[in-house]
Amino acid sequence: MKLATAIFVLLGAALVTAQDTPPVQPLPAKKPATDAKVWGALVFATNDAKEAATMPKVDVPAAYADIPQRLGKVFEYQRFEVIGQHLQDVFREYESWVVPTKDLFLKVDSKGPAEGGGMNLHLQFWRDQQVIVKTDAVLKSGSPLFIAGPKWRGGQLVFVLVLQQGK
Amino acid sequence: MKTPTEDHDLLRWLDGEMSAAEKAAFESRLASDPALKAEAELMQRLSADLRTHLPAEMPVPYADFFNSQIQVRLAQDENQQMPAPASEGWFAWLRLPWLAPAAAVLMVSLFVWQNGAPSGSADSVVHSIYVPSAAVQARSFHSAEANATVLMLEGLEEMPADRKIVGFNITRTEVDEAVAATTLFGTDGKAVAVMAKDARNQPLLLTSSTPRG
Repeated sequence: MKLATAIFVLLGAALVTAQDTPPVQPLPAKKPATDAKVWGALVFATNDAKEAATMPKVDVPAAYADIPQRLGKVFEYQRFEVIGQHLQDVFREYESWVVPTKDLFLKVDSKGPAEGGGMNLHLQFWRDQQVIVKTDAVLKSGSPLFIAGPKWRGGQLVFVLVLQQGK
Repeated sequence: MKTPTEDHDLLRWLDGEMSAAEKAAFESRLASDPALKAEAELMQRLSADLRTHLPAEMPVPYADFFNSQIQVRLAQDENQQMPAPASEGWFAWLRLPWLAPAAAVLMVSLFVWQNGAPSGSADSVVHSIYVPSAAVQARSFHSAEANATVLMLEGLEEMPADRKIVGFNITRTEVDEAVAATTLFGTDGKAVAVMAKDARNQPLLLTSSTPRG
């Protein structure tokens, strides 16, 4: 009985230690072939300055610094706060996930280069485990895709997808 | 409440399969039954709309989805061993349960196709949209002012105000082909989340306790 108790205590301690510093197993070095690179962001559009101020600050790359301004030409809000961002390779043979937030994310399947430039993509916009919309699109660099997401805290969540120039 | 016989007669009448005597009898019944007449008019209008808006041939988006739905339907029919009518014409398809969403997808696709940017344009283009929820309406357009393509989704369920949206700052990912999982790394090089699939092939996002990268 004492031995069983000791094993239980040791296992418990080991589990607690493991939770403190989760080991990250190195993955195979082989990198899948890619077709392009995309930048995805989830933006909170709001007219409430106080609400906007509660959002964490995200350093948006200079190449996408004009996104809030461009969103303002489409969505009738005064403030556009980037909540999360993700720079992602578009894999040629595997699905790619653009996950700027835990709550709303995008699955991207490459359908190859588009005629005249850009990429043919199949996109799935997910909210947790529920797919909101599926779409086939041609994404061109310099011409972002804005997906109007759900309303939140008096404002709206907008998913932004941009094809990076070059690769 | 109409009986199956009446439904069948209506389909035969719509498809022009009745003899002169049958047609005369059915039309006299139409004149005396406002509900049946209303349904007949609705079917005629729907038929005309479909013929007007849909080209004779058109690739079906998400063909896998529709094929699987057709196969499910066929399997259900076989299991129930329901005898099929000898001839129902193409109007019988209007009664299939998957037809309404399929027609909606085709109509949205057609709308998008008609409003898409010309080939060779520098603008991003949405070619087709499929929305699983009937409560959500989708449309796309190009904003010249923003130089962006917009996918508008109306009728989405609001995100609860007390829900905290957890943002990431992902700069690198690694794919483990063996388990079909993607590890997402933040700016500090630490893994912040793993995207995998559950048994139903739904995305499963596992995050660390301090997710922001």
